[in-house]
Amino acid sequence: MKIYNSYILSLTVVLPLTAVILTAVGLRALNYFFPIFVLEAISITELFVYLNNKARQRLTFVSALLFGAFLVYLTVKVAAILSKVL
Amino acid sequence: MFRSNSYARTGTILLVTGVLVSAIAYFVLSLTWLTALGISMLILSFVLLSLSRTIPRLPPEVCSLLLQTGMDNMATIIEELGIKGKAVYLPSSLAGGRPQALIPLHSNPTLPHITRALPERFIVRYGGRPDDVGLLLSTVGSAAFRLLETRPGPTSHSLEAALTTLLAGTLGVAGKIRVASRENHLTVEVHDPWLEDHVGWHHECLGGPIASIVASVAAEAWDKPIVIKQETKANGNCTIELEVAGENLQ
Repeated sequence: MKIYNSYILSLTVVLPLTAVILTAVGLRALNYFFPIFVLEAISITELFVYLNNKARQRLTFVSALLFGAFLVYLTVKVAAILSKVL
Repeated sequence: MFRSNSYARTGTILLVTGVLVSAIAYFVLSLTWLTALGISMLILSFVLLSLSRTIPRLPPEVCSLLLQTGMDNMATIIEELGIKGKAVYLPSSLAGGRPQALIPLHSNPTLPHITRALPERFIVRYGGRPDDVGLLLSTVGSAAFRLLETRPGPTSHSLEAALTTLLAGTLGVAGKIRVASRENHLTVEVHDPWLEDHVGWHHECLGGPIASIVASVAAEAWDKPIVIKQETKANGNCTIELEVAGENLQ
């Protein structure tokens, strides 16, 4: 389970640290946080290529879920911008 | 809903906490940073809950008991027969469909020349001389090799990737693996191995469990018989020297 723990530890450190750094530099809109979180989660998952096949399948599903949520979020934002323009 | 293990429990706790924190922070307190922390908790909870479903059903203690029982039985056979020679790890093409270890009953300084597949029997004749008789056994490596999706190619880089996938990823019994080849020798460095290893007579013959896995995978990669020449441990790392039958590896 060593590799599982390393993977979880990486996410546990990177995600909250990103929240702290973004807040510290003055980015206070939620628009910045979510896409960066999703990108980081997907990137870290891809870096752990040696996870076993079953774990990779499950994590690919989680990545797809997060990416789907990101697309929904993006669509809502684009629709809001377009509605203002039109 | 989820099997009870530490990942499932932590994931569930993080899921509930993440929902509460992000909802309260966003709708009641209007705090973006706290909402972001709530979202990061949710992402972590999804990951933990996903991984909790991939953990083996058998507890590690039971797996350890089964491994120990198998090793003890093998050690008893080897010690009772007074075998002092080193086991030859054969690829599946020479051992009836799966990598196995051939233990010559009479020790021989050179690697036995095996050109055809041996019969699937416990006691086998592997050569033309009267002394060319040995035991054909399944080892930890025989079973572990089946966990690999693809057969590695005959290069040190390919073997390194396969061993990292198997030992670090699937079995979780080592940190990282480094492989170097020189003439017909392979040097495999296993960093942070933690599989229990009881040194005994049989250890001299078959090698430890990790060495056995490494030798089986290497035998499959090069499709040639392999012998564990040396297994040393220093600074928490394990170095395994393998000799591959035949000429240069490159």
